[in-house]
Amino acid sequence: MQLAVNIAVLASIYALIACGYVLIYRVSRVLNLAHGELMMLAAYLLLTTASSFAGHPLFAISAAIGLSILVGAMVYLFLMRKMTGEMALAAVLATVALGVLLRGITVIVWSAQQQYPATALGLVNPSIALPGGARISLCGALLVACTAVAYGSLLAFLRFGRWGVRMRAAGQSPLLAAQRGINLHAIYAIAWSLSTFTGAMAGMLIALDSGLGQTMTIIGLKAFPAALVGGLDSLAGALAGSLIVAAAEVLLIHYVDPLLSEVVPFLVLIAMLVVRPWGLFGTREELDRV
Amino acid sequence: MSEPMLSVDKLEVVYQRAITALQGISLGVAPGQIVGVLGTNGAGKSTLLRAISGFHGVDDARVTEGTIRFEGRRIENGEPHRNTRAGIALVPERDKVFPNLTVAENLSVPVASSGSRADMSRRQALVFHHFPRLGDLRARTAGLLSGGERQMLAIAGALMCGPKLLLVDELSLGLAPVIVSDIMQKLVQIRRELSLTMIVVEQSAAVALAVVDYGYVLENGRVVLDGDATRLRDHPDIREFYLGQSSAGGRRSYRTVKQYRRNRRWYG
Ligand SMILES: Nc1ncnc2c1ncn2[C@@H]1O[C@H](COP(=O)(O)OP(=O)(O)OP(=O)(O)O)[C@@H](O)[C@H]1O
Ligand SMILES: [Mg+2]
Repeated sequence: MQLAVNIAVLASIYALIACGYVLIYRVSRVLNLAHGELMMLAAYLLLTTASSFAGHPLFAISAAIGLSILVGAMVYLFLMRKMTGEMALAAVLATVALGVLLRGITVIVWSAQQQYPATALGLVNPSIALPGGARISLCGALLVACTAVAYGSLLAFLRFGRWGVRMRAAGQSPLLAAQRGINLHAIYAIAWSLSTFTGAMAGMLIALDSGLGQTMTIIGLKAFPAALVGGLDSLAGALAGSLIVAAAEVLLIHYVDPLLSEVVPFLVLIAMLVVRPWGLFGTREELDRV
Repeated sequence: MSEPMLSVDKLEVVYQRAITALQGISLGVAPGQIVGVLGTNGAGKSTLLRAISGFHGVDDARVTEGTIRFEGRRIENGEPHRNTRAGIALVPERDKVFPNLTVAENLSVPVASSGSRADMSRRQALVFHHFPRLGDLRARTAGLLSGGERQMLAIAGALMCGPKLLLVDELSLGLAPVIVSDIMQKLVQIRRELSLTMIVVEQSAAVALAVVDYGYVLENGRVVLDGDATRLRDHPDIREFYLGQSSAGGRRSYRTVKQYRRNRRWYG
């Protein structure tokens, strides 16, 4: 039972991060390899807002979320705008460079030590008993809930929202979308903001749960196989991929060796690439990418 | 002639900084007119329409000389979405629908230039009235439509942008003649109701000359001939090369041939 809970929490973490990769890739065909760093930046921003708005945890959290959405939009407007849609390789390399830069900046500004935003905010993270004898931390439960809400609303937005449909259209055929009056820059900026928003939620909740340090980028990187396993341009696929990767990781840690933790997602990815290079939902999604 | 809605002046378009696709093209379109652009493969017809609608980054194309004015404002090298919102909608030659979206979703994508909700739904009603087939196929994925249905959807999509000027690239491409004349008729009808101005690009002169008020013939990126529909229909070269009729009827006088040659040199 505890294993199932652990899988659910880990899968939620991966899924919440993976949807950021998927959103940007699906709309603009750019792989954002700085997603983990953007997520970490959001958590550090929370550390700062926590000390500026002492005594108002919710206030601090919303301020940090607002800031990270702004960062996402800025990254698109000032860095990615020139490259998106034209130079795929340059765009990916730019995100790699951005990631390294962000890592450097966070070390300089916030130091490389492990820090605890939860204490800074004065929050406690009690462990909750679940029926069946399993336990889940409050932040873990919040993570699962946030992921469910995020996926529910993203899927509904893309399926029924006017701008959601336009985002899908722009992802399929940017030229025709532009010819239909859609400002692609606005669409891409929305995708980057949404992606950093979900990433920021993940980053903050993880930091509140288990502290904050440079290792957070590794979690971001481990969520990447989850997105890839699902086919990279499908949200449902990202969800399935996260479940698979999380289940494999938790089970192998439990039954084989805890040291496997770091490599399992990539083992799953390699196995997947050998068997189905287009990803779990890759082919079907060619026709119906939702 | 009234003030032109669109005027193209000595336009030159270059692809990849090296390939000149259009040279010295000048044309004018008055409000309410249907203007035809004829020409064989590779003449530059699509390039002309794309230049008016706006190039996208990946086209790697630029207007290097000349101007395009729409309602007095210069729009050459403008972004496609701006031109669309200014009132120019294109029915492209290829990639004309979003294949993974349903018909209904395809029609909800356009950002209308006069963006009121009521206006949009009025337009949608008009589209379904003229193309009832699209109404039946609302929930169908656009990638699964037949060629004719896809063309209807493309026209409907362009109309949902609320254009004043509609650019149609090769309506007849890959469609049976019956369907072509059917869609063309609907289009002419819709045009009257919405008082649209149109530019239609065609390889098939028979299709174009049936509806246009004025036409231009392109060859190797230059205008080699222009005139109203009757003049073009009666022109021996058009009869011979585009309408596939022999000019043995004795109508081919020496004078018109010479005029054609002279036109050629003027525009070249
Ligand atoms: N993206 C591009 N890059 C380079 N050259 C191009 C590009 N698109 C078109 N051309 C060239 O420009 C010229 C005009 O092409 P265009 O597509 O405008 O012709 P067209 O009259 O529409 O022909 P068709 O009737 O076959 O559609 C051709 O010589 C073509 O090779
Ligand atoms: Mg063409």
